[in-house]
Amino acid sequence: MADLTQTVLGVDWQSPVLLASGTCGYGEEYAELIPLDRIGGLVTKAVSLEPRMGNPPHRVAETPGGMINAIGLQNVGLSAFIRDKLPWLRENLSRARVLINVVGHTEKDFVEVVSGLDDQSGFLGYEINVSCPNVKDGTLFGADPETLAKLVAALRHETERPLVVKLTPNVPDIGLYARICEENGADGLSAINTFPGMLIDIDRRRPVIGNVSGGVSGPAILPMGVYLTWRARQATSLPIIGIGGIRSGSDALQYVLAGATLIQVGTALFVDPQVAIQVHQEIDDYCERNRVTLRQLVGALEIPGDPA
Amino acid sequence: MHAPIRCWAEVRSLREAAQETWWLEVHAPAIAASAVPGQFLMAGFGLTQVGAPFLPRPFSVGWTDRATGTVGLLIREFGAGTRRLARLRDGDQLLLLGPLGRGFHIPAGRPTVCVGGGVGLAPFLFLASEARDSAAEVRLLYGERTADRVFDPVLIAELTGVEPIVYTEDGSIGRHGLVLDGIDVSDDPVLLGCGPTPMLNALEKFARERGSDLQVSVEEHMGCGIGTCQGCVVRGVDDSWLKSCTEGPVFGAGELAWPI
Repeated sequence: MADLTQTVLGVDWQSPVLLASGTCGYGEEYAELIPLDRIGGLVTKAVSLEPRMGNPPHRVAETPGGMINAIGLQNVGLSAFIRDKLPWLRENLSRARVLINVVGHTEKDFVEVVSGLDDQSGFLGYEINVSCPNVKDGTLFGADPETLAKLVAALRHETERPLVVKLTPNVPDIGLYARICEENGADGLSAINTFPGMLIDIDRRRPVIGNVSGGVSGPAILPMGVYLTWRARQATSLPIIGIGGIRSGSDALQYVLAGATLIQVGTALFVDPQVAIQVHQEIDDYCERNRVTLRQLVGALEIPGDPA
Repeated sequence: MHAPIRCWAEVRSLREAAQETWWLEVHAPAIAASAVPGQFLMAGFGLTQVGAPFLPRPFSVGWTDRATGTVGLLIREFGAGTRRLARLRDGDQLLLLGPLGRGFHIPAGRPTVCVGGGVGLAPFLFLASEARDSAAEVRLLYGERTADRVFDPVLIAELTGVEPIVYTEDGSIGRHGLVLDGIDVSDDPVLLGCGPTPMLNALEKFARERGSDLQVSVEEHMGCGIGTCQGCVVRGVDDSWLKSCTEGPVFGAGELAWPI
């Protein structure tokens, strides 16, 4: 076994592999299918202050090399999360780390969710969702520099727990937003959320997705995610969690070489829940074969002709 | 309910059962052993096959043989995913996740009328075959638009021991009309429905007007099959969205907001 351990967000990680928000529920759903304590951890479904209904169907559809979704952040809300979901995570996970994905309509919403959770146990920190393309104000915070700066600063004031901001890919320069997060006290970045997209049913001449548009994920977005991770890496020294289209160890290692310290597996879980363990194993195999530790690979991309 | 099982399953046979309609048998003993009628499974090709559909597709468990570990699935070609499944060969491997969801609830001692439209026949093949060994009376009504779509009635009888009453909209085979025409509620049966949305809506109206108990199996685009992605929702009676994968796919008619 190779050394895949790292110290990120103030804690030790046994594995760089996490399950992405929105694809693993609140953990419990995959308990029988994935040995969660063998991976790095998971990021919960988004938690908002009040329960959210979500969007009308169809909410998901297949796209070339992936899928499109517009769930609309349907979730049980803060109180029910604390009452019904967090206890399972607290009681059943010992080695897997938990980040709670947090979403809000307003800065005050985000702050209230974080302050409502902060005294609870059973999780490490937060992944702040400023990048959902499927609700009206989903990217309001992630695509406006001033709003983002203010939000991150407000949340930093609220908690000492690790604060990771999940970035939207739908901005001209992701580096700008990465720097804003760093300057305002974030501890890490998740790169990236889904890309906005649309499918049309030509027989009915209607959008396939009830919300009209949705977020595209899956293998089709891998190169964009790797690129944006690399761009974010150049703009900031914050640890980056790479997300987008990962379904193998080699996919994950591209993110690592581009500068990610951790990675998330998402849509691929729907195809095969075992992918999380397989990705971990394939990273292990690569490190062993190349006699390197995972730490040595983070950001180790070499560009020919570039002065080192 | 059993925990779902993820397994690779070998294709044992694929028979053309009607136009663009296939009867697929796979070897999946763990799923065969634990599935109940109305439950479904996700069938896909895994993450390494190039050119295959990406997401797995949900299918009602259409039949099981616990002795041989066989699971039967009824597949009709609708899109890229089902077309790919229709090209499977004996010995090919499918990645399955199942059994999933909530099945039919059959009260003891009451007759059951199964109303299947199109591939909505599938869960009733399983249900009727399970009822073969019990004293329960199962009546099977099965509708299609035209004769060339009708799943071989001989194969249905072979799988289930029940002779289906077949309806076609053009009368080209079986009785002329809609499956609803054949429902007899005089002995207070439990009605079970699975099929196209217009059929389910008509069936719900029929059952409501006669005060009959009705359970329906619904279908919606699905991502994960286990409740995490919340992609497969249907509108509940209290206006909430219900997940067809874990809260369904079988619902009591009173749980849903009609028409669906």
